[in-house]
Amino acid sequence: MVEKQLDLLQGTLDMLILKAVSLGPLHGYGILLRIQQVSKERLEIQQGSLYPALYRLEHQGWIASEWDASENNRKAKYYRLTAAGKRRLQAETEKWNRMADVIAGILGTKAEEV
Amino acid sequence: MTHWSRIRSWMQANLWRSRMEREMDAELRFHMEAYTEELMRGGVLREEAMRRARLEFGGAERVKEECREARGIDFVESLTQDIRYGLRVLRKSPGFTATAILTLALGIGANTAMFSLINAIMLRSLPVPNPQQLVILGWTARQEPETTQERVWSGCQQMLGDQNEHGNCSFSLALFQQMRAQQSVFSGMAAFFDIDSVAAINGQAITTRAEFVSGDWFSTLGVRPLLGRIINPADDARGGAPVAVLGYRFWQSKFAGDPSIVGKTITINQILFTIVGVAPPGFLGLEPGIPLDFWVPLSTEVAVTPDFDRRVPDLLWLEILGRLKPGMSVAQAESAMNVIFVPSVTGSANPMFKSTDEPRIKLPSASHGLGSLRASFSEPLFFLMIVVSIILLIACANVAGLMLARAAGRQREMAVRFALGASRWRIVRQVLTESLMLSLAGGALGILFAYWGASSLGAFFSANYYMPLDIDVLPDSRILGFTFAVTMFAGALFGLAPALRGSRCELTPALKERGGALSGWHARWRWFSLGNALVVAQVALSMVVLAGAGLLVRTLVNLETINPGFDTHNVLLFGIDNTLIGYKGAKLENLYSDLRNRLAALPGVTSASYSMAPLLSGAYMMTDYRKPGASEQRALGTELLPIGPSFFETMRLPLVAGRTFTQEEFSSTVKPGPMIVNEMFARKLLKEENPLGQLVADAGSIVANHEIVGVVADAKYQGLRHEITPTAYVPLSDGCASFELRTAANPKALIPAVREVVNEIDSNIPVLAVKTQTEEIERQLYQERLIAALSTVFALLALVLACIGLYGLLSYEVTQRRHEIGVRMALGAQSRDVLHLVVGQGIALAVTGAVMGIGAAVAVTRFLQSLLYEVKPADPFTFAGVAILLVLVAMAACYIPARRAMRVDPMDALRYE
Repeated sequence: MVEKQLDLLQGTLDMLILKAVSLGPLHGYGILLRIQQVSKERLEIQQGSLYPALYRLEHQGWIASEWDASENNRKAKYYRLTAAGKRRLQAETEKWNRMADVIAGILGTKAEEV
Repeated sequence: MTHWSRIRSWMQANLWRSRMEREMDAELRFHMEAYTEELMRGGVLREEAMRRARLEFGGAERVKEECREARGIDFVESLTQDIRYGLRVLRKSPGFTATAILTLALGIGANTAMFSLINAIMLRSLPVPNPQQLVILGWTARQEPETTQERVWSGCQQMLGDQNEHGNCSFSLALFQQMRAQQSVFSGMAAFFDIDSVAAINGQAITTRAEFVSGDWFSTLGVRPLLGRIINPADDARGGAPVAVLGYRFWQSKFAGDPSIVGKTITINQILFTIVGVAPPGFLGLEPGIPLDFWVPLSTEVAVTPDFDRRVPDLLWLEILGRLKPGMSVAQAESAMNVIFVPSVTGSANPMFKSTDEPRIKLPSASHGLGSLRASFSEPLFFLMIVVSIILLIACANVAGLMLARAAGRQREMAVRFALGASRWRIVRQVLTESLMLSLAGGALGILFAYWGASSLGAFFSANYYMPLDIDVLPDSRILGFTFAVTMFAGALFGLAPALRGSRCELTPALKERGGALSGWHARWRWFSLGNALVVAQVALSMVVLAGAGLLVRTLVNLETINPGFDTHNVLLFGIDNTLIGYKGAKLENLYSDLRNRLAALPGVTSASYSMAPLLSGAYMMTDYRKPGASEQRALGTELLPIGPSFFETMRLPLVAGRTFTQEEFSSTVKPGPMIVNEMFARKLLKEENPLGQLVADAGSIVANHEIVGVVADAKYQGLRHEITPTAYVPLSDGCASFELRTAANPKALIPAVREVVNEIDSNIPVLAVKTQTEEIERQLYQERLIAALSTVFALLALVLACIGLYGLLSYEVTQRRHEIGVRMALGAQSRDVLHLVVGQGIALAVTGAVMGIGAAVAVTRFLQSLLYEVKPADPFTFAGVAILLVLVAMAACYIPARRAMRVDPMDALRYE
């Protein structure tokens, strides 16, 4: 039985995209692959929902895009992180870590500790 | 940085829309293909791989839409879509579109036309730099001043605004010079004074309106000449050469815009003036709408009107214009001017005021000019503005009704759009976009209507005012702004209800049902449906306008059918103003009798006479008469008219007792002077006594200085609206005169002959204001005619619009209920029953509207009181009359849809289902 894939938490897709392109410019499909690969196929991303997120991030100036030749020599649109995106990713990561700590702390609480 | 990128991405998105769409397609295609290839590498067949790629990707169109939204192009994008879609929908039903646009154009056009006039007459600033700095000098006091004479102009009282105090805007020359020398609050302070004058142009004498201005008048206003130069202080110095600046219109009409006019001369009241410049086209003078013909230096006033010495210190005759220094407030300037004014008028040897009179300087704003037209036209304009706003409401209700009917017909279209995932807001916006497109088209057409309408109204005002007007109704930014606001307001008003209705659609029944199915009509056939309510509102509003128009028309009829006491037909009137050109005493008497004899001898003239003023012209004199020995309090207020020989014969004013004046009485100065009175005078002053031979004293005389020699029938003198008052007639021996000719046939045919006779005697005498007595009365009634004519036009427009609304609603319902009517007929209903069904609804709506309209009209027509004459604001005959008219026209509007309903073929209608 294959382990059930996790639905993406609301608002985390942006962060994952930023992280994915921070490792180097990628096209949309590449981003999808990278996220799945890094998450070891444990996350389910609706393929279509990736693009509105990309457009939104580009609109906000956190990523930039340009057309370039893909690995099999076709034209593809590559996204890369901008300086503003880098700062954003950093801030988001810290926020996420703090949040995860707090939640883990709460969930790990045992009765005698209260 | 991120802001910039957002703006850039938005701009790119909108400017390079098609490129972005291409790139978006390419990007998504790349994704699908890449995924397909990967699946195929995993062994899936090409067809299956492509299917799975599409499936897992989700709806590509939806993704694209979300991408577009993410780039912030949604609004512009969908607006363009809405507009394109709206254009297609409107083009598909040209009948509806044309009706709606025309209706709106009439409503918006009528409003814009009225506003153009209000703008031209009341709202526009003088076309000079910084008009807000301009003020007029006026004064108020508790008592009237001790002066020989003061000039009052109607606008002044209104500008000063205080009804309780005595006030005026005229000053003596000495006061002006003193204040100007001592003041420090104005950057310019100039005096002016206008007169009617006679100018000789190409050997012909014409009357003109001239203004005497002090040397700094033009520079204070900041007006630059179109040609030549303006009048400067050197021209105004004593002994300066007489120079004149022409008004643009005068230059255009009398000199054909001669470009080499500067340096030529013009004779004004027999003084030769050199023309030094022409004023710019927009600048008419200080009165918006009333063009001045020319300006001459104040110092020439002595030479131009030598008979009248205005330089005495206690004659108030000059008006003064000031331009406040920058930053100077009106209150500061008023108190600074009081420091000069108050001691000067209370402290001299012959003070005008006591200090307890509290004379004070007032500085009303002159940024909009002096406002004589404002005073004359504000009441009718205000009234008509209300009427046209009602018209706009009717037009909106009308178009809303049309749109509602269409919205019901478009329910399936809406339902399909819902089903395809359009949001409710999106559909509301779509319908609103359509309404705004309609109202914008209506507004654009309306501006054309308005320009035409306002020009004709301006021409009407000008033809009936006592001097020619120049009302500029060209649309300016304020008018365009007003029209735009009205247009948007109208669009929102009539679009909102159908838009909300359209968005409130139930999916399943709307998709399943055909219009006209039985279950549907119950919902639509509710008595209080929005469509019915809109028609009732239209009928009610048009009832209000109709009732108002009916009352005003009755007022006009009442005034026009008044018997003024003399025969108004076949009388030609004209004036001559000889005092301007130096006729006096015996020379004047000879002129009058010579002229009268020659006129009476003209073929076609039965009788000729003259008087100080024509009857019913609005010009009149008042004095008091009392019996000798009676106190001043017992004196009888009397209208006085100096007349020439054969006056009563010419006017056909019957002599009741005694005799008319003899030839000798016109030149003799014997006391007591002869006097003829009307019956009311005799009755009121002398009661039962025989009036003939009675002696009376006029105001200011201690001894009896008049003897009554005759009694004539009562006749109206001052104006049609005025009750007949005691009237006295005395022989005319001095001053200006207006001639009256009783003719056998059409009086207008005699005009050339009259001009020739006057020219033969003295070509310097201008013939003024030639018109028939009937025309004079018409002119007197122009305000009544204007309001009656316009409100009738608007009332008919309202009636037509309301009936179109009724017709539209009924036709629509007949179409919708075809099936039902078919069923009824199949079940045995006669065509008479069908007729009742349709006409019954129509009449019920019309009567409901009329009744509600009567209620509203009773509440509203009270405000017409001051405009009405011998008819009550809630006159039952008028109300009943217009209500009957309304219902009859409504029945006619029901007829066509009813006939269509009766022609429904049951077989056809049922098969249609």
